[in-house]
Amino acid sequence: MADEKWGIAHVHASFNNTIITITDQTGAETLAKSSGGTVVKQNRDEASPYAAMQMAEEVAEDVQAQGIEGVHVRVRGPGGNQQQNPGPGAQATIRALARAGLEIGRIEDVTPIPHDGTRGPKNAGF
Amino acid sequence: MSERSVSRRKQQKQWYEVLAPEQFDREKLGETPADEAEKVLGRTIETTLGDIRNDASENNTKLTFKITEVATDTAYSEFVKHELTRDYLRSLVRRGSSKVEAYVTVLTTDDYRLQIQPVALTTKGADESQEKAIRRTMIDLVEDAASDRPFEDLVDSIVEGRLSSAIYNEAKTIYPLRRVEVQKATLEARPEEVAAEEETSVDVDE
Repeated sequence: MADEKWGIAHVHASFNNTIITITDQTGAETLAKSSGGTVVKQNRDEASPYAAMQMAEEVAEDVQAQGIEGVHVRVRGPGGNQQQNPGPGAQATIRALARAGLEIGRIEDVTPIPHDGTRGPKNAGF
Repeated sequence: MSERSVSRRKQQKQWYEVLAPEQFDREKLGETPADEAEKVLGRTIETTLGDIRNDASENNTKLTFKITEVATDTAYSEFVKHELTRDYLRSLVRRGSSKVEAYVTVLTTDDYRLQIQPVALTTKGADESQEKAIRRTMIDLVEDAASDRPFEDLVDSIVEGRLSSAIYNEAKTIYPLRRVEVQKATLEARPEEVAAEEETSVDVDE
């Protein structure tokens, strides 16, 4: 890899919120973070793609100021015994990060998948 | 206001360059910031094989390295984990064909303990007896490979796919195989830890 600093963008996209955390490549040091509540007033809007876009722009600016040129992305949905698919904010986040001028490396799904765990909730999210 | 203090703390942090072990040509893996050198120890960094080799066709393998040594602005790491990406593994699984997995814990000649998980995928559904035979050969071959190799060679043969192709050639006579991979290999204990365990362990048989 070339001599530029990369980070990892952890995107936790549930149906009620989206949380973006950008860390260094080890995942040990947080460089910037944001969640739905920082950009919208109404709780129900926290998961919206629009909010995700605003957040991604903010964190992108923040990490670029710290010298990060590109990010690998790890998206996850709620997982466990809830829905395995990332929420509406995931896609918007990645797009907004790319548009903000960050290079996007690998995109990986890190939704926690149980190897058979507890019984799912009623109407398990589908 | 609090935000300002955060950014001030950030400025005091130094970026350490993380290098791969010699086995992987001391390739630069990435960078990590820390305010104290000790805090860098024990951090793990994950890359794909393609990133290290500059070969995008090998991006289905993830390698994890753990930082063990810190110099002034570089950190040295050792291999701790080899793993296939989830999407690649999922893409191998087909309906109506069997997936034969095995979990083998082995000790190398230089006393490193590793857990190796080979996986074989058949072209069509195999019978239980065939699955068992395939599993048997997988376990035997992995144990053989470990018993006459030091840690670095074993890791190399896993990463290069020599171990999986050896299993493939051996087990394809039992049942037609589509693919054999080592889905995961983790470092469980280093020589010092193995020695410490042996000292504390109590002999159970007479």
